[in-house]
Amino acid sequence: MSPADPPPTPYSERPEWADVVPVAQYEKANPLAPILYTDEYKDATDYLRAIVKSGEKSERVLALTEHVIRLNPAHYSAWQYRYETVLALDWPLDVEMTLMDELADLHLKTYQVWHHRRLLVLRLGLPAAAPELVYIAKILAKDEKNYHTWAHRQWVLSYHNDDALWDGELDFVDVMMNRDVRNNSAWHHRFFVVFQSGVRDGEEDRERVVRRELVYVKQQISLAPNNASAWNYLRGVLEFNKRPFAIVEPFVKLYTVPRAEDSRDIVDVDNPPPGSGAELPCVAALEFLADIHEAEGRIDDAAALWKSLGEEHDTIRKKYWEYRTLQAKNSKATA
Amino acid sequence: MTTTTSTMRPVPVDAFPTLTSSTQAETEKILLEHVSDPDKPPTLHKNLHMQFLVRALAQGLPARYSSQDASQPWLLYWTLQAFSVLQVGLDPGNKQKAIDTLLACQDPEGGFGGGPKQTPHLLPTYAAVCSLAIVGRPGEGGGWDDIDREKMYKFFMSLKQPDGSFLVSKHSEVDVRGIYCLLVVATLLDIITPELVEGTAAFIASCQTYEGGFSSASQPYYTASSVLLDSPRPALGEAHGGYTFCALASWVLLRPFLPSTSTQPTIDKKALVRWLVQMQGIPIELGGFKGRTNKLVDGCYSWWVGGAFGLLESIGVDPSVFGGGPAAGEWEDVDDSLLNRRALQEYVLCAGQHPAGGLRDKPPKSADLYHTLYCLAGLSAAQHKVIPSPMRRQQLVDAWTGEGVLRREVFLEALCFTEEEGTETIVGGAANRVNATHPIFNLTVTHSDAIMGHFYKQTIPPRATRPV
Repeated sequence: MSPADPPPTPYSERPEWADVVPVAQYEKANPLAPILYTDEYKDATDYLRAIVKSGEKSERVLALTEHVIRLNPAHYSAWQYRYETVLALDWPLDVEMTLMDELADLHLKTYQVWHHRRLLVLRLGLPAAAPELVYIAKILAKDEKNYHTWAHRQWVLSYHNDDALWDGELDFVDVMMNRDVRNNSAWHHRFFVVFQSGVRDGEEDRERVVRRELVYVKQQISLAPNNASAWNYLRGVLEFNKRPFAIVEPFVKLYTVPRAEDSRDIVDVDNPPPGSGAELPCVAALEFLADIHEAEGRIDDAAALWKSLGEEHDTIRKKYWEYRTLQAKNSKATA
Repeated sequence: MTTTTSTMRPVPVDAFPTLTSSTQAETEKILLEHVSDPDKPPTLHKNLHMQFLVRALAQGLPARYSSQDASQPWLLYWTLQAFSVLQVGLDPGNKQKAIDTLLACQDPEGGFGGGPKQTPHLLPTYAAVCSLAIVGRPGEGGGWDDIDREKMYKFFMSLKQPDGSFLVSKHSEVDVRGIYCLLVVATLLDIITPELVEGTAAFIASCQTYEGGFSSASQPYYTASSVLLDSPRPALGEAHGGYTFCALASWVLLRPFLPSTSTQPTIDKKALVRWLVQMQGIPIELGGFKGRTNKLVDGCYSWWVGGAFGLLESIGVDPSVFGGGPAAGEWEDVDDSLLNRRALQEYVLCAGQHPAGGLRDKPPKSADLYHTLYCLAGLSAAQHKVIPSPMRRQQLVDAWTGEGVLRREVFLEALCFTEEEGTETIVGGAANRVNATHPIFNLTVTHSDAIMGHFYKQTIPPRATRPV
């Protein structure tokens, strides 16, 4: 329906609905902060309330709930009643899914469209999972950081936990990352796939996996050094795998100083240098190096970096950098 | 922030533009036009915002608000709490109208729906009960005693999942917003029990991501005999400001129920603090908060992230303990907040206010009720430091006259907050001052005291300092 379409005939004027007595929202008039509904919305929801009251589950209820949902996709009670009607009628789930393909696309930001899909995918079982990943990829191509869509993808993967489904995920992350290396949702997805959902075939050698991820994230940092998502990923990989930050110190240091003139000639996968357009020093690298200093007991070196962050490179967080300094000095004093 | 535009550096693009960096650059350009003039302190246009709220209450909301037809108690809560933050109360006639409107949303089987005759749902249940805390009173028709607490408890238990989480409603999703809403209501109404919250703290802990903030939910894995595994238990979705506030506030409310054994769930506080401070935008973003890494600042995160700092003392993160340490003399300022309180106020005042009244995400967006409350609540959190006070706690202990050690602990933990003397920081002068809010509930301390005093049957000792 486009806004130009004439409104449909009200339910109150349709002979096939003549047996239903509409139910007004408020028994006593005069609510505070009332919404000034359109006539169409008021009419459709008056009939929905009547249906919920009578408990009718029929095809016309599917049409009515679809109508309400199109007018207000966040109407969770309409969704719930629709779901119960789908089950009661044994309505073909593939037909329902086709409608959902349209509605999720139209109302990307709504919780309910994604949850209804989830209920359907649950009932359809594993055969529905691979097509669902394809559909999700299509939506993410339009709305790269949609929270519900990413969370839904992660649910499909972890709920089924099927090797064939997991297989394509790192390639999928690459597609999204190549489109926007600053997309934090893609970085979170990578962490979810590699570290948080168990160990799958071919990934048993965790040493190799950690090495692979370090090479990957360093490469991405070298492309766009001031990318908080990538630095957070680097921290995450090291912390999750209980590796000291110090193992990446030579790499981090390259980003804490102005770019070396001859760095283009260096090919070092463990320490890829910043690209020619890099704006250095990089705040995230200074913070990282300070954390290395602190962990290695070099509190004065860490404090010098925190001071430069608070006074020059990251002034908005001055209080935090002061807090880190006091905390480090305090724990050293009491050690 | 006294920074002038000349020292405002953009977020570096590293000569590698992407969609994220281009939307960021567009936003910086708009925000630059809203930088405050150092010679003209910004003003909070209280009258304009009040008129915006009065229009919503009296004239009603335009048809585009139909998208929030399933959030009617929220529309009221945002309006009523925004009035409270602006130090305004409703007249008795409108209070009664609000009570009647809210009670029409209560389900005969317990809990509140998004409107009359809608299915009960945890989110509008929070909004309805908090609204009743503001406008309600004891006695018939006053709202408080009209809440069916027994059925509310049954409704909550009907949503409980084996991993300690809760569905937000029948056939609906699990997420930490719902858990926060449930825990606030159960705490206010004196219906929180160990049975209700068993496993919930572990669920919350499992939502913390590698970035330090919290996600919407986590996915449970079970053994063949249906035993929940500690690992894997992956977070669904990335760290997010709204979920992080809800998770942290839930964690604080659950503390009296944490088992005192070594197996109790834990959260990484250091990573959480780091994530929270990283969400504050740099000077060119006017010091507003964003909700996720590499996303844009938005006025509503003034509360969801800015307000979360007010919960840190409750989990033992207290910057002031280092105040007397060896390096104390180096810092000129006594303010030990971890967020930049002045910068956050400037964002709300300079970018958050719509010229026609009401507050917003960012310019040039229009104002709405949701952003009006969460910008004002964030402004409040930046002006006032409301922290747990051992002295206040002792006063409550001395006045306590009831049954149940755990019940008393819940009551004390919730009501021991007071504004720390001499820490008020108000950008733009005293006329910009707004009321303090309770860091967990987002109600004023006065309203929190009154409703909990009623349900726990306690006489609340008077507060020594001025009421907030």
